[in-house]
Amino acid sequence: MSAPGQSECFVLFEVSGNTWAVRSQLLQSVEMPGPVTPVPNTLPFVEGITFARGQVIPRINLRLRFGFPGIPVDLQSRTIVVRSGNRTAGMLVDSARETVFIPLDSIQPRDEADPAGSPDSSLKYREGTAVLGSRTVLILNLEEVIEGI
Amino acid sequence: MPIQPRSGGNAKSTNITSLRERAVHGTKTAKNMTASLKETAGLAISAADSAEQLASSVNEMAASIEQVTGSAATLASTANETAVSIEESSASIRSVTDMAQEMASSAQQVTASMNEIALSLRSLRAVQEAYAVSVAEISAATEQMTRSIQSVASNAAGLTVSAEQTSASVNETAVSIEQVSAMTESLASSVEQVFSFTDDLARSVEGVSANASKITDEAAEAASTGVALVRSARSVATLTKSATETTSRLTRDAEESGAAIQKSIQSLGRIRDSISRSSGVSAEMGKRAGEISSIVGTIDMIAERTNLLSVNASIEAARAGEAGRGFAVVAEEIRLLADRSARSTADIAGIIRGLQEVIHDAMAASDEGVRIADDSARLTDDGLSGLRKILAGVQETAKVVGQISDATDQQMEAVHSVVGSINATAAQSKQVATATAEQALSVRSVLQASGQMRKIAKEVNLSMVAQAKATRELLKAAQQTTSIASHLRVTTAEQANAAKQIVAALQDMRRGSAATARALADRAKAGGVISEEASRLAILITKVTRALSDQATAATQIAKAAVETRKQSGHVARTMFEQARAVQMMTASASNVSRKLAAITRANREHSSQSAAIVSSLSSGAPSKSPSAKVSRARAGSGK
Repeated sequence: MSAPGQSECFVLFEVSGNTWAVRSQLLQSVEMPGPVTPVPNTLPFVEGITFARGQVIPRINLRLRFGFPGIPVDLQSRTIVVRSGNRTAGMLVDSARETVFIPLDSIQPRDEADPAGSPDSSLKYREGTAVLGSRTVLILNLEEVIEGI
Repeated sequence: MPIQPRSGGNAKSTNITSLRERAVHGTKTAKNMTASLKETAGLAISAADSAEQLASSVNEMAASIEQVTGSAATLASTANETAVSIEESSASIRSVTDMAQEMASSAQQVTASMNEIALSLRSLRAVQEAYAVSVAEISAATEQMTRSIQSVASNAAGLTVSAEQTSASVNETAVSIEQVSAMTESLASSVEQVFSFTDDLARSVEGVSANASKITDEAAEAASTGVALVRSARSVATLTKSATETTSRLTRDAEESGAAIQKSIQSLGRIRDSISRSSGVSAEMGKRAGEISSIVGTIDMIAERTNLLSVNASIEAARAGEAGRGFAVVAEEIRLLADRSARSTADIAGIIRGLQEVIHDAMAASDEGVRIADDSARLTDDGLSGLRKILAGVQETAKVVGQISDATDQQMEAVHSVVGSINATAAQSKQVATATAEQALSVRSVLQASGQMRKIAKEVNLSMVAQAKATRELLKAAQQTTSIASHLRVTTAEQANAAKQIVAALQDMRRGSAATARALADRAKAGGVISEEASRLAILITKVTRALSDQATAATQIAKAAVETRKQSGHVARTMFEQARAVQMMTASASNVSRKLAAITRANREHSSQSAAIVSSLSSGAPSKSPSAKVSRARAGSGK
């Protein structure tokens, strides 16, 4: 969606040892995880509802969403508040500490980036991969993540 | 011899002749009787001598005395017969005297008549004178006989006295023999006792000998044991000395250990204190570390929030596009600082965590150290008290070991003296064994001698009993002799009396014959009366003749009795000779007896002394059992 040679700002976050990146344009803010109020009849990875800058939003535990066991919230834990269309949701991640500009041409689409081509539980949540120096960053497919909530 | 009474002068002469013959015969008879009496007297004298000898003798002659007694009894009966005969003769002589008196008166007349008778009368006178002489001779002989009878009587008295003396002596002898017999019996019993004592002594000496040899062996054993004892006592002394040294060293070590333990206890107290202090310090440090940790947490929180802010700022700057590019750089710078700060605080937190772990460990170690120190202090206290006890025990041990050392020294001395005395005992035992062997030998010889002594004593006792019996019999015989002698004396006195009467009768007869002579002379002158008177005289003379015949018979009897007496006297003499021989033998045996008695006495004395020695040795030997004393006594005994 941008010209070649252009780069876009991404927020990096970690879930269960993997570094993921999400476009900063999709983000409202990054927050310290506040108290969560459970809501009945929801999906297992939806923890409940929480407050973010005055508005009530559902919070998704990405670990659980990606099929990993959950861990307790600590000082590093973050709630990333995202907007997709008209919907706003919070994503609980292990940490989210930096923003990076990733050249868009360095992002490899999902099919190319998966040499094994094998089906992965978290594969559908990946838009593609990018290599930043020694690090490999997974680009998050936000639509797929908040799909169904 | 018949006499013709009326045959005239011739007949008268014949009568006178026969009278003369009768007178001569009577004289002969009287002489014989006198000789017999003399013989008897001699025999009696010799008997008296024998009896005197007998009186001086002391011993057995029962058989001989019995013979004498028998002979004396026979003699007595013979003497009785003699006495009877003499009495008869005396009586007949008396009647002769009476008749002769009458005859004298008749004969005066006859003498008167006879004066008138012729020449024949002178021869008759001569015959008459001869007759007178004969009568005088008879008278003299009779007087002699009387004297001899008197001497016999006196001898008989002497015999009686001697017999009494003999009896008394024999009695005394019997008594002394009884005494000797009793003494011999007691001697025999003493000898028996001596024998049994000696037997016991021999046994005991043999036992002593056996014991002495046993003692010698045991003393030798004891001597070797004593030597071993000395060695062991010496090694004990050496061990005790080394024990004393070890104990004193131990005491020093224990005292030093006590001091070291005391120091250890003090050090432990200090260690405990310092550990407690360091534990406190560690706790304080932990507290401070916790404070630091909370501060670090705050810083961390600030850093996180700064990071969050910078991330949000970056998001906002990106949203602002080109305009927010500078802001994004600042936000990035802030984010980097915050990240550095967070990393540092993470480092600090890690360090503090490690520090807190170390402090925790240090505190646990301190607590453990305090506990260990307390335990150590307690254990060390226990050890100290144990050591104190050990020290007390060691000191006690040292004291005891010192006492043991002293005792061992004394023991050594005692053992030395014991060994010395054991050696002395062994030597003495050897001497005792030797002496006891000698003693046993001498006791055996003593035993033998006392056995012989016993045999001899038995024999002596037997012979003493026989002697006593013989003496009793002798006494009896002597008493019989005495009674016989008294009988003899009485008889002889009677004989003497009779002889006196005979003498008197003979004197009368002499006077009568003198008167007859005178009467014959008168008759020679007178004549006529003579025939008458002569017839009367004849009657008288017949009577006289009868009487004289009786007298003759009596004289014959006297003679016979005298012969018998002589025979008896010969028998007596023989017996007396035998008696004398027996007396000699008896004297010999008496001297033997006396010698034996002396020997017995000597033996008695020796026995008594030996018995005393034995008794004293037994009495003093039994309780004291001093071997040397026994040896010296035995030697003294053996020296006797």
